[in-house]
Amino acid sequence: MRERTASGARMNAASVTALPRRTPPSILVVEGDARVRCLVSDELRGSGFKVLEAGSADEALAVLDAVRIELLFIALDLPGSTNGAEMARHLGARQRAMRVILASAEPDRPGDPGLDDLGPLIRKPYLASQVVDLVMRSLNWPDPP
Amino acid sequence: MSTPSTHITAEAGSSLQTVLVVEDEVLIRLVIADYLRECGYRVHEAVNAEEAVAILESPEVSVDVVFSDVEMPGSMDGFGLARWVRANKPGTQVILTSGAERSADIAATLCEAGPLLEKPYPSQDVVDRIKQLTAKAKRF
Repeated sequence: MRERTASGARMNAASVTALPRRTPPSILVVEGDARVRCLVSDELRGSGFKVLEAGSADEALAVLDAVRIELLFIALDLPGSTNGAEMARHLGARQRAMRVILASAEPDRPGDPGLDDLGPLIRKPYLASQVVDLVMRSLNWPDPP
Repeated sequence: MSTPSTHITAEAGSSLQTVLVVEDEVLIRLVIADYLRECGYRVHEAVNAEEAVAILESPEVSVDVVFSDVEMPGSMDGFGLARWVRANKPGTQVILTSGAERSADIAATLCEAGPLLEKPYPSQDVVDRIKQLTAKAKRF
């Protein structure tokens, strides 16, 4: 059914779906392996997300202090003094609004209630497209028409 | 460590030029990488020279220009990376950047485009230098 807007223009389903969508969500990919980080980030960018990259927990914290991030994709096996699991727990307490996806290199990693409550876990080796699907589901992106 | 068993489908046949930004200061890297993407480049990021080499050696990735800081932690600095690129990826252009004047003098001998970009650099200067280098490379 067609409706008229305040300006008199006809409005229908086509005109509604043509409206610009909200700004693409920002995702921070935290991964110590540059090749994995590069591939995952590129695949996410190809799906329209704004993607920032960090190679360690320290870098991730610096980014999170400076930029609003809507989803954190973090490897549990990060190099450096703080691993991904510790950082994820820290952030879980600090930024409840941010979605989190964990990536584990351990195929048989036992469940950890402190981490499992933060968000879904994806196990390596994974397809970059699987990460994109998981991110889209976590963020409900793109918006349903 | 295992890598995702996928490849960047946009890489093959894409007309986008690819820049690898190598910088250990994450917020500097973030800003220049973001700017270059907005200018239409495909951008990969490396924290240090070792990561840069890993990306450059990756069969899924093709890099046109390496934009690297000179002073970086690790066993290889920006000069070492420039030498590695010259030896192993001769088709890839290198732009170095540094905050140290002495480095600027040395880099003039390494970079075809002349002295390196001194920090702090305007982001547009990086784009201008990339355009100069890639145009020059096309003439050969």
